[in-house]
Amino acid sequence: MGVPPDPRSQILAATVTCIGRYGLAKTTLEDVAREAVVSRATVYRHFAGGRDQLIGEAITWEVGRFFTRLGAHVDDAPDFITRLERGLIFAHRAVEEHEILQKVVETEPERLLPQLTVTGPLVLAVLRGYLEPLLEHERLRPGLELAEAADWLARNVLSFIVAQGHWDLTDPKAVRRLVRTQLLAGVLAEP
Amino acid sequence: MPSLPAASTAELEARILDAALVAVARWGVTKTTVADVAKLAGCSRASIYRTFPGGKDHLFAALGSRELTAFFRRTGSLVDATDSLADALVVGLVEAARFVAGHEALQYVLEHEPDVVLPVLGFKQVDRLYRAAGIFARPHLERFVGPDDAAWAAEWTGRMVLSYLFTPSPGVDLTDAADASRLVEQFLLPAFTGAATGSATPSTDPAVPALQGS
Repeated sequence: MGVPPDPRSQILAATVTCIGRYGLAKTTLEDVAREAVVSRATVYRHFAGGRDQLIGEAITWEVGRFFTRLGAHVDDAPDFITRLERGLIFAHRAVEEHEILQKVVETEPERLLPQLTVTGPLVLAVLRGYLEPLLEHERLRPGLELAEAADWLARNVLSFIVAQGHWDLTDPKAVRRLVRTQLLAGVLAEP
Repeated sequence: MPSLPAASTAELEARILDAALVAVARWGVTKTTVADVAKLAGCSRASIYRTFPGGKDHLFAALGSRELTAFFRRTGSLVDATDSLADALVVGLVEAARFVAGHEALQYVLEHEPDVVLPVLGFKQVDRLYRAAGIFARPHLERFVGPDDAAWAAEWTGRMVLSYLFTPSPGVDLTDAADASRLVEQFLLPAFTGAATGSATPSTDPAVPALQGS
């Protein structure tokens, strides 16, 4: 819509593109500068820590974008349970269809996963912060505190975004069962 | 190089793996060489290559597999001594958390060489671990729940152990039985005993991946 992205975001977006093209190990500052159509000096001005800082921040930025899209997707859900179900389905699909993520997981997991582990606590905090006010409107099981409920659900959501395990998260019926009979069984007074 | 009396293949294999465990706890996977392991095991490098023809990678894959299997077996017998699903799940959580916390080699790798161990815990890779846990747990939990719920309960336990390992909580220490028990009673148990539950039959066929040599 005509609003130009700020230079910092532009550089981060270019970095993600380059990671998809060349991989985490081989992406250079020159690649990123060329992709973002800025000078190397501009990249350095925004990321004084150089390549390592740039790569690390690009991963965090992309994770942030992922959760922004997730939030937007469930924004109009009619109730909490539906929001959780839609969120799991969308997040699973978004991970599967994220070509750059899939490529890097396949070819350079040893470089990507330590980075993602670093963002883990941050992501968990964001999810917790998102879920807590929503849970405030739900009837929790007696004796369960809001913060504890939000933390538990956030952990589970994150765990299922990483891997679906036994559950087919492309199947709305399976997700419904997972959310209603399992994840919320210990959380809501009447899931 | 000290030469010990001829050992059976199984004995030699165990001795080599024990030595590799010591080496990893000291120097990590990357820096450990086949020669280091040979020295610690008191055997020749050739013996190691005879036992693990794939060399270092093969040796460490076998080590990971052995450690995991040993953990599963020990946990299995402890679970067999419990008489409720709640106790069984608490044992699973506590044993898994203690296994990770008390395993010197694993701790070294997690701290200094996350690139070595994290790939097996990420995205689709971790599904293999969950499946292995499910397959292992089924016979031990079937006294309390159906086979599918048994596998799922084990997976869920694994998910929580990994969650608290990588994103610790100040208020929850899963090596502590009281904390684990609180988690089980509050969140896991209602899913298996709740009136509305029915069966949590997973819709994905839990085909067995060979963990061996992976």
